Amino acid sequence: METLWNVIATYYPRFISGFLVTLRLVGVSFVVAMALGLVIAALRVQPVRWLRALGLVFVEAFRNVPLLVLLFIMFAGLRRAGVGIERFTAASAALGLYTSAYVAEAIRSGVFAVGRGQVEAGLALGYTYPKVLRRIVLPQAVRTVIPPLGSITIAMIKNSAICGVAFNLVKDVMFQARYVNSRTGATNEAFFWAAVGYLILTITATVVVRKLETRLAVRR
Amino acid sequence: MKDINRWRRLVAGLAVVGLLGAACGGDDGGGADTGGGGKFPEGSTMAQLVDRGEIVIGVKFDVPPFGFENPQTGEVEGFDVDLGRIIAEELGVEPRFIEAISDNRIPFLKDGTADLILSTMTITTDRDAEIDFSRPYYIARGRVLVPEDSDIADVGDLSGRRVCTALGSTYEENLSKEVPDARLELVDSYSECLELLQNGAVDAISTDDVILTGMIIQAGEDFPMKLVGDPISIEPYGAGVKDGDTEFADFVSGVIEQTFADGTWDKLYERWVGQYTGEEPEHPQDYTLQEALKMRPCVEFC
Repeated sequence: METLWNVIATYYPRFISGFLVTLRLVGVSFVVAMALGLVIAALRVQPVRWLRALGLVFVEAFRNVPLLVLLFIMFAGLRRAGVGIERFTAASAALGLYTSAYVAEAIRSGVFAVGRGQVEAGLALGYTYPKVLRRIVLPQAVRTVIPPLGSITIAMIKNSAICGVAFNLVKDVMFQARYVNSRTGATNEAFFWAAVGYLILTITATVVVRKLETRLAVRR
Repeated sequence: MKDINRWRRLVAGLAVVGLLGAACGGDDGGGADTGGGGKFPEGSTMAQLVDRGEIVIGVKFDVPPFGFENPQTGEVEGFDVDLGRIIAEELGVEPRFIEAISDNRIPFLKDGTADLILSTMTITTDRDAEIDFSRPYYIARGRVLVPEDSDIADVGDLSGRRVCTALGSTYEENLSKEVPDARLELVDSYSECLELLQNGAVDAISTDDVILTGMIIQAGEDFPMKLVGDPISIEPYGAGVKDGDTEFADFVSGVIEQTFADGTWDKLYERWVGQYTGEEPEHPQDYTLQEALKMRPCVEFC
């Protein structure tokens, strides 16, 4: 118990800086994942066949390759190919791309949950297809999609820890806990504080998702 | 060489059995023990290992010439591995080698995953607080490795540059003392450092001279590199055992001293280091464990 406090009392600047790096990594990846996920989902529901195929290839490529492998390709692979990608960029791009495939699938399922009749009705009224998506389908799809997007975000926060292990790409909470462990040998204590860092982020995400759900809920 | 050892052990074993047979008049046919068990005090780690018939030794798997996997055979080889085999042979047990990187070798001893660590580990007071060390068995020097065409010519040139070393190694301290404003990149293993140097993510690698020489040999013509500047530190390697097990540490020290006396150490040096560097060895016999510990006073919690 005493070591638990000693570890945080001695190394809190490291844990805090690691927490901020994780926060930044998760923030950037979240934006990348949501923006790209939305675009890919839109491709996936297009009437044009080759656009749908493009979306499918993207989703299957990034969903079916382990995140760790993506990180190695994004960093070591690209650098060896002469692209001077920086560590943080490589980490956030890999995490964002990986997560965006899941986001796209979640949004697509939300879109399909909106009855086909509504799309046909919209088209019959003279709306263009993009406009049907934007004005009729998406506002309804958002409600169905919030809970799975919440789960994906939480998974992404936890997955970010891999970036602190693969080539120690970013000095995040995970890296700092490993650093403290290597200096003190206090394994349980160091990773306890890392877990606290991740819990702060995941619990916050959970609360935000709950709030959004209640706000957007349809009163029936 | 392995075959010769096996033969030697077999012959020794047969001789012991033969002597026993002669002495007891052959009334006990089951005495196939090669003479290990009775040699050690009851309850000692050595006796336990003999009972188990195996010793688990943590070595590096990616650090030529100390511990590395031979790509042709898939077997792990090197100076540390050979020393491990000698210690196992003295015990009369089979060695089993597992990978111990800088960051997990001490936990491996604490939780019993490994019985012995021979993993290019520098003797330090901090580590001595957590585990026990044998006497020094190798003296390495801290150096700096850069690509052939680098503009870094001395240790001082590292300031503001990115330098790679392993998490949990002594170089974090060495470098922050020598060049406080070098930017340290800490990774898990030296093979990652080499990758980072080759892909340009770091400007230099700093660690023990022998490990760096191994990298130069490994990368070869594809990526020529050179050692620059004066040595920044002295790194006496020790074998690690569980904290408080002085008996076993003394046994290991005894085996090491025996290799100094009978010339085995010189053969190991020549086989793994000398033939590549062409340099004379720095003799570990000149240092005791106490002297080694004095070179590395306590920095963290002791």
